[in-house]
Amino acid sequence: MIAMAWTGAFFALCALGMLLAPFVPQRRNPLLVAIAGALASACLCVAGAYALLSGRTVDTTLGLSPLGSTIRFSLDPLSGVFVLITGIVFLATSVFSAGYLQRYLDHYSLKVFTVLYFGLLAAIAAVLLASDVLSFLVAWELMSIGCYLLVNFEHRRDENIRAGYLMLAMGEAGTLAAAVALLLLANAAGSLGFEAIRMNGTRLADGLRWTVFVLSVAGFGVKAGLVPVNSWLPRAHPAAPANVSALLSGVILNLGIYGIVRVNLDLVPPRLAGPGIVLLLVGAISAFLGILYAVTANDMKTLLAHSSIENMGIATTALGAGVVFATTGHQALAAIALVAAFYQLANHSVYKALLFFGAGTVDAYAGTRDLDHLGGLIHRMPWTALFFLIGSLSIAAIYPFSGFSSEWLTLQALLRSAELSSNLVKTAFAFAGVALALTAALAVTCFVKAFAMGFLGMPRSPAAEEAREAPRSMLAPMGALAALCVLLGILPTFVIPALGGALKSVGGASAAHTLVPPFFSHGRPSALPAKFIADFHDLGAQVGQDIVPGRGLVVLHRGGADNPVVFAMATSYGFVVLILLLGGTAFVVRRLTAARRVMREEQWDGGVHQLLPEMTYTATGFSNPVRVIFDAILRPRTVEDTQETVAQHFRVAIVRTREHPHLVDRLVLDVLTAWMAGAAGLLARMHHGKLNAYVAYVLGTLVLFLGIAALR
Amino acid sequence: MTQWVLEGLRAGIRTTRYPFAPETAAGVSPGLPAAGELARPDLERLIARCPTAALASADGRLVVDARRCVHCFRCVRGSDTPAPWQGGYEWATGEGTLGKTFTRSLHIRVVDAGDCGACLHEVKQLAGPYYSLHRLGFFISPTPRQADVLLVVGPGTDQMREALTKAYKAMPTPRTVIAVGTCALSGGVFGSNFACGGGISSILPVDVEVPGNPPPPLAILHALLLATGRAAPAAKERQTAGERMP
Ligand code: SF4
Repeated sequence: MIAMAWTGAFFALCALGMLLAPFVPQRRNPLLVAIAGALASACLCVAGAYALLSGRTVDTTLGLSPLGSTIRFSLDPLSGVFVLITGIVFLATSVFSAGYLQRYLDHYSLKVFTVLYFGLLAAIAAVLLASDVLSFLVAWELMSIGCYLLVNFEHRRDENIRAGYLMLAMGEAGTLAAAVALLLLANAAGSLGFEAIRMNGTRLADGLRWTVFVLSVAGFGVKAGLVPVNSWLPRAHPAAPANVSALLSGVILNLGIYGIVRVNLDLVPPRLAGPGIVLLLVGAISAFLGILYAVTANDMKTLLAHSSIENMGIATTALGAGVVFATTGHQALAAIALVAAFYQLANHSVYKALLFFGAGTVDAYAGTRDLDHLGGLIHRMPWTALFFLIGSLSIAAIYPFSGFSSEWLTLQALLRSAELSSNLVKTAFAFAGVALALTAALAVTCFVKAFAMGFLGMPRSPAAEEAREAPRSMLAPMGALAALCVLLGILPTFVIPALGGALKSVGGASAAHTLVPPFFSHGRPSALPAKFIADFHDLGAQVGQDIVPGRGLVVLHRGGADNPVVFAMATSYGFVVLILLLGGTAFVVRRLTAARRVMREEQWDGGVHQLLPEMTYTATGFSNPVRVIFDAILRPRTVEDTQETVAQHFRVAIVRTREHPHLVDRLVLDVLTAWMAGAAGLLARMHHGKLNAYVAYVLGTLVLFLGIAALR
Repeated sequence: MTQWVLEGLRAGIRTTRYPFAPETAAGVSPGLPAAGELARPDLERLIARCPTAALASADGRLVVDARRCVHCFRCVRGSDTPAPWQGGYEWATGEGTLGKTFTRSLHIRVVDAGDCGACLHEVKQLAGPYYSLHRLGFFISPTPRQADVLLVVGPGTDQMREALTKAYKAMPTPRTVIAVGTCALSGGVFGSNFACGGGISSILPVDVEVPGNPPPPLAILHALLLATGRAAPAAKERQTAGERMP
């Protein structure tokens, strides 16, 4: 009941925020967002954490819907994970917004922003809590529309409007597919409640399972940005304000995955391996294409948007692996894969929000997001640079930051495909593994580029030269998220059992038991065999058991007798060792070089007279090798634009630009658009403007309907 | 492919034995004019023929300033009494300040300070199989940050002055500057003019000088050995009479 009280407080605060917004002066609205938003999201965090850690499900019935069904909200551990992530991201975003929104003060109505912001917050929570089809769909729709309106907040710019329409169109198509999937389930169960659907879930026929799977993945996949329904995402992000971008990537994308998990793992317990393999491949392809386009993007936010597709892809791959393992009877492996998926989602939300804050800060205080025109910001924005670096290292899965733990776990889970029997499935796993490995490598390239081109070197534009540091109120949330990145990276043995709680909702084994062996006995006899403990005692697996609570600090998957340790890592110990090594090395080097005379001369620049920004490496140049290698996928298009004047006789300028239309746009979106345009063209032939023909249409329609009526 | 291997085996090692044994192959060095006794009219005629004032008389003897000689051969060819000529190639003068630490590994940054290509060409020969500088622990470095030796060719044009200074400043100490070729030593045919200052010493402190226009690769090798204290510098004034040019 505690959880529900906190959720109630949350909804009350959201309502309060929405109600107050119109009466608070424009200037004070950012403060309202910060305070009420932070309080509301703190409530959400508490509720989510409670549900996750207690492992209990709380239900409330809110009344009857106009359709006669009951409206039920329930907070189970699965919702809890997402509620907690949502709370954390919203908490940071609310504080960040206070400073960030100042730039809109004279241009756009912040009152509208505040109302939409709290509306979106409440709608998202409602999506996660809804426990019947009707309220879920209503909340989902409110969330979609709120999200669209916020993304389009800068509505006076044409490209934003176009991006918004695409987002809305794709989002609504997705909602439709998801609604059909849910209604099919409700129809089979004879009730709109999730409880009834769940009871009926195990009895579904294979055909219906596949239909529901395809519809729900296609529908929710739109929100998650999975290939091939990702086209809106890289367009929406550059249009949205940075704080909304952080929400979009940190929260809304998660909801897509939540939908997929809720329907395909919870409501309909998996029985077929096929959907798992589809998820695996969709995820792998999304991850690879996402990062490939991220590397070639020069707009910081487009880059981050593509990388969101990548991260969602990684999580989906892990999810797919989990489904395959679960359906083939490997419960322990399924738990590992699913925990990896949730871990990946949590990490992604934290570091992506951080990176979007960074991009927004750079946009606001250095005047541009184009990496080709940035550079040297580390001197003027040292704190932003530090936090952006931590975010970049995390997302590039560099040890000891957060991305490492989850990606390592994902790859380990994929490697366990050795225990599967079907060669076809193994091949799919191998493909996914290779794609993810390539993705990981490209991710490093991508974020070396993002950080180095943005923050290092020399400024490549006057705006970047005059950049200044953001105020503390914007740095603080970034710092908090950066700290969280480090914690999520070095404390996997605390994160995994917590996330593992969510598996209870999806019927998995406990991940804590499979991944975190209780090396720390805390005085009690351990559940592990004495010999096993003894072997690892010498390796230091029990170091710190008197001061650190919890099960242990080693992530380890135990196998059979012939291979006692399948895989293991200890980022916590590693972190301590890393600190000692780095500190020790620094100390020794200092000592050894203390007596040295230091010469300070100009840096070697190849002997040029003056090093100009134009001479330095650009973001485009940095990513060009990737562009060349993957030319077959990227297919760059050269666009030549000739400007002429004086009766079209004198050429004033020839502008040549290279475009990289997204693979999915070329193969799916453009084709669909062409078909639609063709169909519309056919229909348009009816409208030729001859009055007698129109009269004939009316007559024809009348005859048709009379005919139908007569036949019945 | 296999033919190359066989041919290589058949050919054996062709790399010069210098500095462990003197190199005597024909054409490894063009030689230099040498000091000597000459009759006064002949002496004056020779001095007048030299375009870069490399020849002078001291107490009625012909003395040669190798730093200025551009190997034009005007003092030998077309002259009734040719100047005395000496072979050899151990011409580098100066001080080896680097010491024994660098005998196994010396990194060299080559800077072209406006040379015509001749000296640079000779420097390039060092990396070939015949002279093979690596066998002696010498390595060409792409950046001055890791170089111990700044090997400069060309007269040091004004346009290269800044680059040269920057390269020198970027080098860690201890560092040595080797000026290679007559132009680098005295400006050569350019002397001191509106575009260059008459040699590298007007820009940087030069430690080792290699005369020759261009100096043969062995002379440059000698300079590198001299810089690391593995060879003795050339005698200050070449007293040997030398043999006559054919
Ligand atoms: S070779 Fe030419 S430059 Fe050298 S000393 Fe003779 S005349 Fe002078």
